[in-house]
Amino acid sequence: MLEALEGSQAIARAVALCRPGVVAAYPITPQTHIVENISKLVADGKLNTELVSVESEFSAASVVLGASAAGSRSYTASSSQGILLMTEVLFNISGMRLPVVMTCANRAIGAPINIWNDHSDSMAVRDSGWIQLHCADNQEAVDTTIQAFRIAEATELPVMVCMDGFVLTHTLETLEIPDQDLVDRYLPPFVFNRMLDPQNPLSLGTLVGPEYFSETRHLAHEALNQSASTIVDVDREWQNLTGRSAGGLLSVEGPDDAKIGVLAMGSVVSTFREAMDCLAAEPAKLMALRAFRPLPEEAIRSACAGLDHLVVVDRALSPGFGGIVGGEIKAALSGMKDAPQIYNVAIGLGGRDVPLEMWPRLLDVPKQGGGFRILDLEPAKLGEMS
Amino acid sequence: MSEMNDPRARQPRFRGLEAGHRACQGCGEALAARLVTESAGPDVILTNATGCLEVFTTPWPQSAWRVPWLHSLFENSAAIASGVEAALKAQGRRSKVIAMGGDGGTFDIGFQALSGMLERMHNVLYVCYDNEAYMNTGIQRSGSTPHAARTTTSPPGKERMGKRHLKKDLLSIIAAHHIPYAASASVAYPQDLRRKVRRAMEIDGPTFLLVHSPCPLGWGHDGSETIQVARLAVQTGLFPLVELERGEVASVMPLRQRVPVAEYLCRQARFRHLFADDDHRAQEEREHLQALADYNIERYGLDGDGDDPFDADGADTIRRGGPANS
Amino acid sequence: MPIPMNRGAFALAGSSLAFKTGTWRSAKPVHVHAAAPCHGACPAGEDQQAWLALLQEGHPQQAWESLVAANPLPSVTGRVCPHPCESACNRGHYDSPIAIHAVERWLGDQAIQNNWPYPRLPGSPRPERIAVVGAGPAGLSAAYHLARRHYNVVLMDAMPAAGGLLRSAIPPTRLPRDVIDAEIRRLLAVGIEFRPRAALGRDITLEELRSEFDAVFLAVGAGKSRHWDVDGAVPADLHEGLGLLREWLAVGAIPKPNAVVIHGGGNTAVDLARVMRRAGVRDVHVVTASGLPGPDTDPDDVLNVVPRELEQAIEEGVQFHPHRTINRLIMRGSKVVGVEMVRLKKLPDGHGHKARVSFEGTETVLHVDMVVPAIGEVVDPTGLGAILNGRDFIDTDMFGTIAGHPGLFAGGDCRGWIKKLTNGTVSAAIGDGRRAAEGIDALLSGRSPMEASRPALPFADLNLAYYESAPRIALPTLPLSQRDDSREIEGGPDTSQALAEAARCFSCGNCLACDNCWTLCPDNAVLKTRETCSDGSHYLFDYEFCKGCGLCATECPCGFISMVNDD
Ligand SMILES: Cc1cc2nc3c(=O)[nH]c(=O)nc-3n(C[C@H](O)[C@H](O)[C@H](O)COP(=O)(O)OP(=O)(O)OC[C@H]3O[C@@H](n4cnc5c(N)ncnc54)[C@H](O)[C@@H]3O)c2cc1C
Ligand SMILES: Cc1ncc(C[n+]2csc(CCOP(=O)(O)OP(=O)(O)O)c2C)c(N)n1
Ligand code: SF4
Ligand code: SF4
Ligand code: SF4
Ligand code: SF4
Ligand SMILES: [Mg+2]
Repeated sequence: MLEALEGSQAIARAVALCRPGVVAAYPITPQTHIVENISKLVADGKLNTELVSVESEFSAASVVLGASAAGSRSYTASSSQGILLMTEVLFNISGMRLPVVMTCANRAIGAPINIWNDHSDSMAVRDSGWIQLHCADNQEAVDTTIQAFRIAEATELPVMVCMDGFVLTHTLETLEIPDQDLVDRYLPPFVFNRMLDPQNPLSLGTLVGPEYFSETRHLAHEALNQSASTIVDVDREWQNLTGRSAGGLLSVEGPDDAKIGVLAMGSVVSTFREAMDCLAAEPAKLMALRAFRPLPEEAIRSACAGLDHLVVVDRALSPGFGGIVGGEIKAALSGMKDAPQIYNVAIGLGGRDVPLEMWPRLLDVPKQGGGFRILDLEPAKLGEMS
Repeated sequence: MSEMNDPRARQPRFRGLEAGHRACQGCGEALAARLVTESAGPDVILTNATGCLEVFTTPWPQSAWRVPWLHSLFENSAAIASGVEAALKAQGRRSKVIAMGGDGGTFDIGFQALSGMLERMHNVLYVCYDNEAYMNTGIQRSGSTPHAARTTTSPPGKERMGKRHLKKDLLSIIAAHHIPYAASASVAYPQDLRRKVRRAMEIDGPTFLLVHSPCPLGWGHDGSETIQVARLAVQTGLFPLVELERGEVASVMPLRQRVPVAEYLCRQARFRHLFADDDHRAQEEREHLQALADYNIERYGLDGDGDDPFDADGADTIRRGGPANS
Repeated sequence: MPIPMNRGAFALAGSSLAFKTGTWRSAKPVHVHAAAPCHGACPAGEDQQAWLALLQEGHPQQAWESLVAANPLPSVTGRVCPHPCESACNRGHYDSPIAIHAVERWLGDQAIQNNWPYPRLPGSPRPERIAVVGAGPAGLSAAYHLARRHYNVVLMDAMPAAGGLLRSAIPPTRLPRDVIDAEIRRLLAVGIEFRPRAALGRDITLEELRSEFDAVFLAVGAGKSRHWDVDGAVPADLHEGLGLLREWLAVGAIPKPNAVVIHGGGNTAVDLARVMRRAGVRDVHVVTASGLPGPDTDPDDVLNVVPRELEQAIEEGVQFHPHRTINRLIMRGSKVVGVEMVRLKKLPDGHGHKARVSFEGTETVLHVDMVVPAIGEVVDPTGLGAILNGRDFIDTDMFGTIAGHPGLFAGGDCRGWIKKLTNGTVSAAIGDGRRAAEGIDALLSGRSPMEASRPALPFADLNLAYYESAPRIALPTLPLSQRDDSREIEGGPDTSQALAEAARCFSCGNCLACDNCWTLCPDNAVLKTRETCSDGSHYLFDYEFCKGCGLCATECPCGFISMVNDD
């Protein structure tokens, strides 16, 4: 059914459709509306879940860790400082192979404190062993949220659904909220065979010494790599049911013979889609990278075949290095025959607006050449801040 | 094992913690965990903070636990226990959740998660194995380390006499959460400990147990003296055994006779500097610790009036066939 | 093959059993069945700890059976034994010793009341015949222990009834005759042929006995008074103490002077003093070289009587003059009118022994009209000439063997002093009889005799934290005004008192199944068993896992666990 909903509200509805056993979250802008909406659904009797009103994000993550280990479908959500406070637990959840789903309402990280959108938070936990899926719009976010439980439970890996704070979470859009029946068919009840159970008393979270630690890391790496095919399959199945894809690992739009491409993640993809439609610019391919972890190297390479230039858009940066996605794409394409020339810029940091006009500016980057830079930097303002 | 075939399998009591764990010889924490899990029975799920107990019980691929057990981090035992409990509720399962942590994981780094768990009234028994320092990392001071004790981060020297600060009064803080039941116990009084575990297990709601658990390595006493040392801590008044219901003192283990704290201190290397002949500060600190014990005795009214089978002299009495007070 | 890493690195329940922590150990705990001090001190050889344990478990008949495995006369010894076991009892260092004698008496009386049969050892009848001469405690004990082992025993005595001094000398106020009768009757019923009025040397010779029987045990006691004079002076109408007591018991007659001095420090002296006092003699003095019990008196130097007898005697008005001897008789003609006493003490003589030294200048005079020596008896040589060889007592080893006379054994009051074995008491006589039965059985079975001996458990090896202080039971005693010549003065405990007293026992050296080791081993290395293990306990050490911390040994209340090197 088509409904006009705020992004956060839609996510709450999607989560409810997945019938989580335990939800734990702590307020932080711009995620707050999600936990508020879930609380309301619970209060109204529309969602039957154990909602744990924790005293911190650290405990939110710990609660879902425990709940998942005890065999309940578990969900949490956070942003920015909250994600960082969770960090230790996030590594634990993946290391223990627990299928937790979390929404990251992406936001910048202080100091200086800033509540607006960029990708610094999810990037900071890039190596935590979670699957990270980025959403271009709220429909994708709804669909990805539902898929995330399927992926997580099939792979026993945690999934972080990244959606841009405010831009998506606080925006009213008309979107399709699937039927409960459909979701029930798509997402079977959670069965966890390592569940904490007095009838089968396992010990989870053991100490592993040097004799075996490399093997555990290897297995974690393999598990993430192999999850790529699950992500694709699960999205294809969803498409068969609903007619909508949430973007697989990576989706590519634009003319086949374009010589320039732009790779981006998150809501800017929607902005660029619109710009491609309504602004006259040179023909270009838009690559929406949905799966940042696992990074689909093969899919990226084939999407880049035939391109001369590729502009990689980052929404965060690694000071002293540059763009994080950019660096990774360079690595992914290194050694590729006839690889495009790669340019890397960061835009929209800490909520700086990314207007439609950004699209032609991006296509212009190869002409200007040069290394990584913040494209929408306003140099005149630097004097005040240095 | 020649004497009877497989007597281990036929023990007339439940074993939550199995042999083959790697605790030091005479470890009070291992004993405490054994006693707690034994009394709690098989229908439990445990969570465990990082610390000695976690490390010595679960070096992969082995585990000494016979009940489901979950370890995550140093500071989140109470929080993961909250999650486990929430999941059980969601699933309609009725097993009791027991969260466990050392004093470091409870008094200090895990305190916030614990407070949250108590405030949210989770049906969890939290057990703190209090060995009064961070033992797993090599004996560093914690909020629970007694005043004047030597640890590797509170060494005595020209300018210091061991830990400068006092042992945190955790129980009072717990009491302020107004939870149904909180108690302190000691490995020296296993019957009392068992009774307290059973009492806590019966309650549907958050409960808390602080179990004094000597660490031979960290306290510097022989592994064979663990019980003696623990008993003296109670008998001197330094570690009062009390029960709190909704934050109010409901009962205490009275002392039949006050044992001077020096008798407790002199058995442990961590207090050895308090017996230096040529240092006036030594006597001062001994007196300070005596005054702290006297303060506890006064505050909780520990002085007994006449012999009581449940006082600190009577509570561990045995008779043929078992403890006299069971 | 390495173990494959699993998903999330989980581990299976109890899989730590694959890790044998026993390899860490440098010392290991073992169960040591040390002897309780009470057992070591008991002349009869009882294991009081064992029977108190059975009583604690609520099995009085089994407790009695365990008791009579050593001592067949508990109703008697429970009344008259000076109970050195209680002096040795570890509980004495804690609050007050277990009233072992009282519980012993209670068990004996229960057996009489309920007619519990004396158990025999398993085995089949033996063809050999054994003669026991003298049916005092030594002879009764030997006959019983031999009959228990299925020998044919003939017990003979010069007197018309069995009992020896129990019957002929110990006043009924301390040992009622129905108790003696009941216990002896039941004992003889084990299968002993008793021949009264059969005196060795009168009715039969030793040679005849030796040819008729495979072994002979002599238990004739010490029936002849020791010679007594003071510097060669003897009053004309001298009566010695044991004779007076015997006469009083036989016909009820006792002399009634105004004041009497009894010379001696044993049971005869004290019993006679009490009898005379109760008969109305105004001043009854006992002069003895021994001391009264007290902090200044060496335990070896105390009057050789049951402590409570002494108390009661003093209560009854007997005047004791300890550490004194009679220096001179003050005579008017051949009649005594007083004695001169002098203080003395046993002191080292410079040759490793002790000698009595009297102190000049400490002489005092007692005005009395009668002097009674009660300084002890020696063996009556009638019929024993060759064996005695002119000495006062028969020399034997601990099994009663008489060197140079194979097949001939002796014990009880008639044997000489053997190092470490107390003499001159009922229980010592019973112990002699028991060990002689072993000696005889060993001889007839062609093996060496054995007496189990275990090191005693020192008080320091107990962990007192686990015991509660509890008062020793107080036994009912007849008030002075009601004491006469026949009523028993001291009463026995009632059932609840007996059980309460048994419950006080520490169980020294012997597992009391308190579960401490099982409860307190941090490593689950103590296992509890339903069946009893070979060491008599219900606990096993699992050495695969025991780390040797020693905690169980420290916390074992009764010293049953000890750490031994395990390199
Ligand atoms: C007055 C008195 C009070 C005592 N009180 C106590 C007391 O309270 N506690 C205690 O432990 N001890 C006491 N004793 C000591 C105790 O009675 C003796 O140590 C014990 O009886 C010795 O036992 P026995 O079998 O060796 O000798 P006896 O009891 O003397 O028995 C010897 C037996 O041998 C018989 N006999 C002797 N010669 C012959 C022969 N030729 N032919 C056949 N039969 C013969 C005698 O008739 C007698 O029955 C007391 C002794 C006396 C005298
Ligand atoms: C966040 C974090 N900080 C520090 C540590 C290191 N660490 C592990 S256990 C421990 C001390 C444990 O002390 P306590 O809780 O008292 O348990 P014990 O080992 O004494 O039983 C420390 C400091 C850690 N694991 N995690
Ligand atoms: S260091 Fe202390 S707490 Fe840790 S295992 Fe050893 S004795 Fe136990
Ligand atoms: S306490 Fe018991 S076992 Fe120990 S010496 Fe006394 S009676 Fe014997
Ligand atoms: S307590 Fe356990 S580990 Fe320690 S010595 Fe005894 S049996 Fe061995
Ligand atoms: S501790 Fe108790 S159960 Fe264990 S051996 Fe000693 S007495 Fe027996
Ligand atoms: Mg600690």
